Amino acid sequence: MKYALKRNLMLVLTMVIVSFLTFLAFELISGDPAEAMLGTEATPERLAALREELGLNRPFLVRYASWLAGFASGDLGVSLHYRQPVWDLIAPKLEITLCLCLVSFALITVVSIPLAIWSYRWTGTVFEAVRTAFNQLCMAVPPFFTGILMSYLFGILLRLFVPGDFPDLRDQFGEALVHLFFAAVCLGIPRTAMTVRMMRSTVIGEMQKAYVRTAISRGNDRRAVLTRHVLKNSLTAAVTFLGQTMAELIGGSVVVEQVFGIPGLGRLLVYSISTRDYPVVQTVVVILAFWVVLAGTLADLINQRVDPRLRLGGAA
Amino acid sequence: MKKRRINGYLLCGLIITGVLLLAALVGTFYTPFDPNAMNGAEKFQAPSFVHLFGTDNFGRDIFSRVVKGSGTTLAIALATVAIGAVVGTLVGAVTGYFGGVADDALMRLNDALTAFPSILLALLVISIVGPGNKYNVVLALGIVFIPSFARVTRTAFAGLRDVNYITSARLMGAKNGRILLVHMLPNTVRVLLPAITIGFNNAVLAEASMSFLGIGVTPPDASLGYLLSEAQDKLSRAPWYALCTGAVIALLVFGVGLIGEGLQKMDREVA
Amino acid sequence: MKKKILAMILVLGMLTALLAGCGGSRETPEMRAEANAITIGIAQDLDSLDPHVAVAAGTKEVMFNVFEGLVKPTSDGNLDPAVASDYSVEDGGLTYVFTLRQGVKFHNGKTVEMQDVLYSVRRCAGLLPEGGDALIPALSVIADVQGEGDKLTITLSEPNLEFLAYMTLAILPADYDQQDTAPVGTGPFKFVSRKAQDSVVLERFEDYWGTPAKLDKVTFKIIEEDSGLVRGLQSGALDLVSHMTSTQISQLNKDAFHVEEGSMNLVQALYLNNSAPPFDNVLVRQALCYAIDKREIINMAFDGYGIPLGTSMFPSFGKYYDDSLTDYYPHDVAKAKDLLAQAGYPDGFEMTITVPSNYQPHVDTAQVIVEQLKEAGITATIVPVEWDSWLSDVYGKSEFQSTITGLTSDNMTARKLLERFNTQAGNNFTKYDSAEYDALFARAISAADDAEQTAIYRQMERQLTENAANVYIQDMADLVVVRNGVDGLIFYPLYVLDVSTLYWDK
Repeated sequence: MKYALKRNLMLVLTMVIVSFLTFLAFELISGDPAEAMLGTEATPERLAALREELGLNRPFLVRYASWLAGFASGDLGVSLHYRQPVWDLIAPKLEITLCLCLVSFALITVVSIPLAIWSYRWTGTVFEAVRTAFNQLCMAVPPFFTGILMSYLFGILLRLFVPGDFPDLRDQFGEALVHLFFAAVCLGIPRTAMTVRMMRSTVIGEMQKAYVRTAISRGNDRRAVLTRHVLKNSLTAAVTFLGQTMAELIGGSVVVEQVFGIPGLGRLLVYSISTRDYPVVQTVVVILAFWVVLAGTLADLINQRVDPRLRLGGAA
Repeated sequence: MKKRRINGYLLCGLIITGVLLLAALVGTFYTPFDPNAMNGAEKFQAPSFVHLFGTDNFGRDIFSRVVKGSGTTLAIALATVAIGAVVGTLVGAVTGYFGGVADDALMRLNDALTAFPSILLALLVISIVGPGNKYNVVLALGIVFIPSFARVTRTAFAGLRDVNYITSARLMGAKNGRILLVHMLPNTVRVLLPAITIGFNNAVLAEASMSFLGIGVTPPDASLGYLLSEAQDKLSRAPWYALCTGAVIALLVFGVGLIGEGLQKMDREVA
Repeated sequence: MKKKILAMILVLGMLTALLAGCGGSRETPEMRAEANAITIGIAQDLDSLDPHVAVAAGTKEVMFNVFEGLVKPTSDGNLDPAVASDYSVEDGGLTYVFTLRQGVKFHNGKTVEMQDVLYSVRRCAGLLPEGGDALIPALSVIADVQGEGDKLTITLSEPNLEFLAYMTLAILPADYDQQDTAPVGTGPFKFVSRKAQDSVVLERFEDYWGTPAKLDKVTFKIIEEDSGLVRGLQSGALDLVSHMTSTQISQLNKDAFHVEEGSMNLVQALYLNNSAPPFDNVLVRQALCYAIDKREIINMAFDGYGIPLGTSMFPSFGKYYDDSLTDYYPHDVAKAKDLLAQAGYPDGFEMTITVPSNYQPHVDTAQVIVEQLKEAGITATIVPVEWDSWLSDVYGKSEFQSTITGLTSDNMTARKLLERFNTQAGNNFTKYDSAEYDALFARAISAADDAEQTAIYRQMERQLTENAANVYIQDMADLVVVRNGVDGLIFYPLYVLDVSTLYWDK
């Protein structure tokens, strides 16, 4: 119970910190929403009038406080650029990005864990070198590069999806999923390679521990030891790593969304930053923070199930 | 202790990275063509013996541009990792060793930084340092890389905190600073080294992504990432541009990745 | 047990992949032709849908099809009556009288009444009872707006011959407060839906007063990434994209598309900060003009598409445009070096070119200029900045040495293009400071007849060129890629895309 309370407090704290930092960043970077909105039509008089209308003339802390109060009471504000309620703008994008991240996460998990165990069997053979090299290669190719190649190959040549024309997620779920699938693969390849590598070295590290040697010397089957003890003990590390993956996927999605023309949260974020549409950016950033902390918390909770020692609160 | 044997991964990695490093080094004072010289008569030439990687839309020699660009990219990546590793280790050491409130606070800040959009951070750095400055990218990326280093080292330092020899050192009256520096830091190298190689790779990729989103180095002097972003809207006109540039990025990251792999393997063999 | 779970996970993964492999039917150009619809790719998202609030050129380009004013620009640069059926200019440009057209309908089915017109004009002029500033600054010259029967009388505080061009402002229903999200106008197309960063859908308005549009439905698809537009055309998702570069076009299949060439109607130039050294020295500015070869820029970065310019005016403005200024400064490196020596820079100097990084053609132009300036001994560095920083620092605060951009006009007046170089103008970001020019401008806007006004405007253009206010480059070519089968595209001297004349040629 106390743990849950602490976690929630941390969550709120992180969200407040990140929202404050974002607000501060907007205060410091050049350009404000009024200038972004008026573009080359700007004159000093029009700028002044618009700043007044948008309430940009109030002191920094007052504006932050009013934003925070609004946010806490569920009022996310209105987008300055689109003149639409922020939530109406974000909700459909969030859906898409969540789908992208979940598909990608599922792919990473489903592919990497069996691959890691499987590849352990190859230790010491020629295949190991090939696999390691391939693994490194997967980590080395930048996602936007694979993205460009894939959208060219599968999009233009094989016509499996139409780059740039993302189908409606609700009306054409199947087609949207195809589109997301390829983006998710691009997003997932390096992460999968990393997970395999991490899992493998954990398993190897674990296999060298005394208890394994003892178990094997007592006549236990190597494979049984691997599946029964070693895997279980490597699981915590894997779960922690996957938690981090979950958190980092959403950051990586920005670039991939750009390449595949997916109208998701990442693209909205980039665009809103460039138009200085801070109510939108604030909300997106808070959602991201929530996501990051949530991924960590989930990983911790799962680990405590797997490894009761962690429940004592030894490692936070 | 076994004899330290250079393993295959390390060797391959060192060779690949070495060759690229050498090329980049040579490229700072000699390239086959002036990387920025335009030639209207030779736009979009396919790779040939004269132009190994072909030419771009201004008739510039892509090979020369890539060689020059890899120097920029390498410099950015190294500086970024240096900032991330030094500051990250410092943060990780303090939080891991002392724990308590500082630990909690810094870790929250870390979380917040992870969620903070790196583009916004880059813009922030640019508006503070001023636009058109190569160090903008380094600084912005360096800050982005602090949390991951901090997290890795924090775990290492926290793990060492209650180990017998550290406790003994403390009982013998050693100062905290000395314990951290002399007794603990060398023992975290095991986790720090692979983190640095991974960090280097991430830095190369992150620089490329940033250029891809339009906030990177200044044209016409290019980094690899900038070149790739230039190449991508000419993909079906000049596929060699994107392919050659992308391949060099991949090769660079691959080489350093192999070094990391080799180091880990060596470490295991020693242990 | 574990193995089974593993197997199940694997099967599940394969199923996802399989499901992904068999997407349903996609919309093809043939299907769109059948449905009498087209999809147009645009490179930037729209800002406000309220036409009086929107400022982005890209928004006006699209919403031109939804809204109309009392008068409406035509493709040959004239103004035709629209919501008004007739107009007259009285008292030498002091009073404008409009007769409302009978039976013009809004998209929501209501008929346009005098109160709607009054509301629209007053809103833009800042004359609504609830106050507020003029949404269009030039309309602050309106002293009074009165409606009587079907006659609308607008009285100005001083005579203004160019006032009519501002009466293209959109006529909106008076008692409607959702223009932001569900705009209503009187144009040939009605607004159907908008998804941020995704698309805007328009449909033909059946009760349109004039020539009805030929297409049933037009979808504007927003694709911010350059290569996305090319891929969208290649894959069949798009039928028409304007403002493409020759490099993009060279990637497309020649059998499926044709290219129509118009002009962007903008003045692309290396704009100089006339208030800061070294560009406060006219000799240095002239040296730059001699050192930079605009034709080479057009050939190198634009594959020869584009019209070289010599002043802040482009050809589609007809009578105002003076072609003889284009080659006032022929490319001459020796002359440039000579002038630099006279100005006290015999060994050249270092300068920066600030460029908005989101627009590749300007970045490309900058790269060519850097190479050209090298020959004259000038070392230029490109500083790419994000668009909003550009607006704030360069356009707003004039914190720059030189910058490359394209300046447009959203109406057919020469004033719009020339006013910004007068010292009183709030948007004089180049800080051009010439008493002679200011005097000319004052005379031009109060000129009593059109011929005199045109002559003065042309004098102002010459003044800008002779003093080398900026290094003028070109009016960029507007290359529009159109899928074969789509026809009827016409170009305007403004930054608009009229989709009402487009049709599928079956």
